[in-house]
Amino acid sequence: MIKTLLTALPLALALAAPSVAQEFPDRSLRIVHGFGAGGNADTVSRIMAEAMSAELGQPVVVESRPGAGGTVASGYVAGEDGDGYTMQLLVGGHAVAAALYNELPYDSVNDFTFLSTLGQFPFFVAARAGEYESITDLIEQARANPGSIIVGHSGVGSTQNLTGELLDLQTGAEFIHVPYQGGAAAATALLGGEVNMIIDTGTVITGQAEAGVFDVLAVTSAERWPDAPDVPTLSETVAPGFDVMSWTALGAPAGVPDDVVAILSGAIANALSQPDVQERIAALGAAPGGSTGAELQALIERQIAVWTEVIDAAGIERR
Amino acid sequence: MIDQFLLGLSVVMQPNVLVYAFIGVFIGQLIGVLPGIGAVTAISLLLPVTFYLDATTSMIMLGGIYYGSQYGGSIASILLNLPGTPSSVVTCLEGYPLSRDNRAGLALFVAAFSSFVGGMIGVAILVLAAIPMTVIALRFGAPEYAMLVVLGLLAASLIGTGSQIRSFAMVVLGIALGLVGADQTTGYYRFVAMPELADGISLVSLAMGLFGISEIIRHAAVRSPPGSPLPIGIRDVLPTRAQARSLAMPILRGSAVGSFFGTLPGTGAAIASFMSYAMERRFSRTPEKFGKGHLPGLAAPEAANNAAAQTGFIPTLTLGIPGDVVMALIIGALILNGIVPGPRLMTEQPELFWGVIASFFVGNIILLLINIPLIRLWVLLLRIPYQKLYPVIIVMICVGVYSHRTSVTDVVLTLAFGVLGYLMKNYRFEPAPVLLGFVLGPLLEDNFRRAMLIYRGDFTVFVTRPISAILVACSMALIAFAIWSGIRACRRAVRSSH
Repeated sequence: MIKTLLTALPLALALAAPSVAQEFPDRSLRIVHGFGAGGNADTVSRIMAEAMSAELGQPVVVESRPGAGGTVASGYVAGEDGDGYTMQLLVGGHAVAAALYNELPYDSVNDFTFLSTLGQFPFFVAARAGEYESITDLIEQARANPGSIIVGHSGVGSTQNLTGELLDLQTGAEFIHVPYQGGAAAATALLGGEVNMIIDTGTVITGQAEAGVFDVLAVTSAERWPDAPDVPTLSETVAPGFDVMSWTALGAPAGVPDDVVAILSGAIANALSQPDVQERIAALGAAPGGSTGAELQALIERQIAVWTEVIDAAGIERR
Repeated sequence: MIDQFLLGLSVVMQPNVLVYAFIGVFIGQLIGVLPGIGAVTAISLLLPVTFYLDATTSMIMLGGIYYGSQYGGSIASILLNLPGTPSSVVTCLEGYPLSRDNRAGLALFVAAFSSFVGGMIGVAILVLAAIPMTVIALRFGAPEYAMLVVLGLLAASLIGTGSQIRSFAMVVLGIALGLVGADQTTGYYRFVAMPELADGISLVSLAMGLFGISEIIRHAAVRSPPGSPLPIGIRDVLPTRAQARSLAMPILRGSAVGSFFGTLPGTGAAIASFMSYAMERRFSRTPEKFGKGHLPGLAAPEAANNAAAQTGFIPTLTLGIPGDVVMALIIGALILNGIVPGPRLMTEQPELFWGVIASFFVGNIILLLINIPLIRLWVLLLRIPYQKLYPVIIVMICVGVYSHRTSVTDVVLTLAFGVLGYLMKNYRFEPAPVLLGFVLGPLLEDNFRRAMLIYRGDFTVFVTRPISAILVACSMALIAFAIWSGIRACRRAVRSSH
């Protein structure tokens, strides 16, 4: 009898503990994302889930809800409780979708609590090796002969596509924009000589550039990219003020209490400070770096404005 | 080449690498058998494991899953009319009738052996001709793809066993289903009745529904499998000498077609198997035997899809550019290991490059060795009464389809396609042309419109580019041949009636 009681006592205490402490988090959390398993978004989610789980002392589960450029997942998360147990891995596409879709089942800014950026990355402009002297040369040729430069991109409404349209608008180059199914197919078309130029992430371009097959003509960020200091920016060459960076970030449904936001943001910041986490995010071509929720929200609002303008000016069909 | 291949073999033959090669092909084989669960799901689940492995071992394991699943895919197709992978849809056409005819063991043996030969020929081409094949593949632009698809549709227009007009109607239905989703050229939504359809209908859910579920509905009324005990002795499994001889050429032709289509990024094993099936039927002296369990019609596409699975690695390895989703995942494993995939992979990482290729060689032998003894076991599966077997299979299909895009809509659609497939069979419409239209239709549209964008609406581009012109000529020849053989048949009919 006494033995039974002694066994039961710690158990009872353990069961009672959460209701006494009311500590967040007292159960498992999850990171939802809107892309296929095994893609970059999935990989970043898993890296963060592992690191944040160690910080918060609770399991963090990754949940993939792919579809319609990530908007299926955003719609789902927007409708969940803002208790901090559900988070979403957001990517640059979140701002693009706000500009591109006619009727989203959610408000891209007000339905979310923004936590922190995780990393930012620019796009690179590449052409076949030796075909153009520089980005200035390419743009001059385009202007001299409108419609002569064909730009391959990774799909209508992708950030890569919109970045090309923005460059077109700012330089008056009058490119022909040709969609492919993903960046890899566009890169193959550049190799085969079907298109003259592509704009894509370092993961698509770097391998070919290191082998001397592609020339990297420019980078889309405002400042030169630390990993490729010799590559000029579009801003310093052909399009003053040009600044496009894509990003990954963590958000949550609207209405997460401030003290819970503080706990989550702290866990994200600590996770991002680990060299191992930084290394793995950098391997995906991004510069790891956190932010405040307000900074993230400002970034998203700024990009929604830019992309809305580009979509209107380029006459891209809204969905 | 041979020296480098031997270097590769020395990498694979290290016991710890060999273990992962075995794990890879074994898992691939297993998920290939499970209906609906494809290599993509399995590879993405195993991707985190590669954090703990080096780049070579990761690629050997993930690659093994990919071509292993091509082997496994034929098993469920033959036994239960369940195409485990899209490329094994064609396997159903001859394999399932053989199985209904109590010759499942023979069908499984022929499939495994053809797969082995096809895979080995694919590996040989990978070793000997990776670079020239890459050069050819790069010359395939939008006009070439468009004309290739036209040729494919023409060649396969005889794929159904019923009337031409019915088969044509089914191709059109397939094309319409393939158009659901965002239009690739403008992003405009077509037939998107609900947001879940924005990315289109999943090929897996269409194939599982039309083939597997419809067959289950058809047999719901039947009590049990055909009464006679199933023959599974070794003599029932091996083909006779005459049969074996009749299979040599189909297997070689299938391997050639598969090796070629595999190298073209984005087309892959599924189209290779459709094309080689259509070709066998075209070249056959007994086309009327197709669709009723004709062994050459089983052997050729099996050889083709496995050859394509191997040569599919050519663009991935030589250019560092993934041809499809599976390859993108495998390349992802390289990136996570800090290796930037690119054209220099071959010279800078020879042990990785040749190790991976040599692992295909070893992997195909392992697959043959594990497949032959398993035939007995698979055939025994058919002894399970339908009322016990089918509920399990339906659950497995639902899980498999769900795992692809974690979409409940896909599961509901699969069941709906099952009912559609059942109705189609009742009214003698074939499901295979639907899938063909579904796969090839959007491919034709995308590439045709892309060609028009790039060449500013100039139609002559299809005949002024050499490869495209050759493809157009082949299509013309095919049409001429069809007309000529039609006239000849007519004349013969007239003469015999006199």
